[in-house]
Amino acid sequence: MISQFLQDAFFAAIAAIGFASISNPPRRAYLYCALIAAAGHSSRWLLIECLHWHIAAATTIASFIIGILAVLISPKTKVPAETYLFPSLLPMIPGMYAYRCVGGLALCLLHQSESTFMHYFYLFATNGLTCFFILLGMAVGATMPIFIMPKISFQATRNN
Amino acid sequence: MNSMTCDVSTGEATEFLANYSGLLFGSGSTCVRLEKNVKRMAQSIGLMAEITILPRHIHLTIRRAGSPEVLTSITSIRDVPINFNVITSLSRLSWALADREITFREGIERFGEIERMGGTAPGVILLLVSLANASFCRLFEGDLTAMAIVFVATFAGFFLKQTMAIKHVDARIITAVCAFVSAVIASADNLFSLGASPMITLGTSVLYLIPGIPLINSFCDMIDRHYICAFGRLMNAVVTLCCLSFGLCLGMWLMNMGMF
Repeated sequence: MISQFLQDAFFAAIAAIGFASISNPPRRAYLYCALIAAAGHSSRWLLIECLHWHIAAATTIASFIIGILAVLISPKTKVPAETYLFPSLLPMIPGMYAYRCVGGLALCLLHQSESTFMHYFYLFATNGLTCFFILLGMAVGATMPIFIMPKISFQATRNN
Repeated sequence: MNSMTCDVSTGEATEFLANYSGLLFGSGSTCVRLEKNVKRMAQSIGLMAEITILPRHIHLTIRRAGSPEVLTSITSIRDVPINFNVITSLSRLSWALADREITFREGIERFGEIERMGGTAPGVILLLVSLANASFCRLFEGDLTAMAIVFVATFAGFFLKQTMAIKHVDARIITAVCAFVSAVIASADNLFSLGASPMITLGTSVLYLIPGIPLINSFCDMIDRHYICAFGRLMNAVVTLCCLSFGLCLGMWLMNMGMF
């Protein structure tokens, strides 16, 4: 169990560094992105695997943890909170749900019988709804700390 | 320089603020940060700024307090890659101007330097993204063989993406072609019975193409009640997802992998 938890944190950190590199964060932000993503993703793993939470609810709480950490670290390094926040959230983006939803919708058009149509429509609806609520949960959870602590969040890059 | 005087005219300040808005938003900033940064800089020289953010343009209206003069500028959102280094530098610039650490003229010069800022070396990004996607495969419980195949599929697909981007190929075509190439390579896991999780290999091989930042930005803008902008960003992300799904499905069909 502990080994799985640590593996989840480790691979989430590598995923955050890699996907962060596409969006060009400042060089010193990579380490923080990795640590914050590891904390967030492993919290989600705990909630899903140990407490059997739904992925959308677990993602919301994990995003909130990521948001709190990003907002608290940002003024110390003079970097906007989003620079840590968004790359750290990337390992939790529901990518598979998203393209399965679009794929399911496309395959509805190619159906040859009602049962095939219903199967693909089911895939479209379940994946689409899960994807939507994960993304909504991520945005709500991650931005809540910014709105709770606006002075810290929006003055992080100020010199004095 | 006191708060109501400035070393540039209202017209020059408006032009600077419009260019600033176009670059900050194009670099992947949220609407709320854009509004706060621009209003902060405008207020520091006694101007009032109102911003309308549209999917492809920013409409900026500047008015001097106590003066009937109103200036409006409509600027295109810059078509630049997402760059948090630019967002960080532009946010610092806004505070340096608001706190009057530098003059507006110096601010305009510094903005020019930020515009010319480069990104991370393409080779480094290629390696990091490939490692990231292989790690992603592990997070979805893929085995070591799956991770290795995903690494290769991502490396090939992302290299193709970088090459096609240099040749200015349409971003939607790039997404579809790269998804197809990565899916075909990833299907080797099933074709040659290499590992125990071929569907995870295939599913995670294209995840590097998911428009993660636009999706998060879209929902953040929605929460901040910038519905038009949120919808615009969401539609861009959905179009990218459609192209990704098209490439993936074509690859799965060609390699006889079965659909979902």
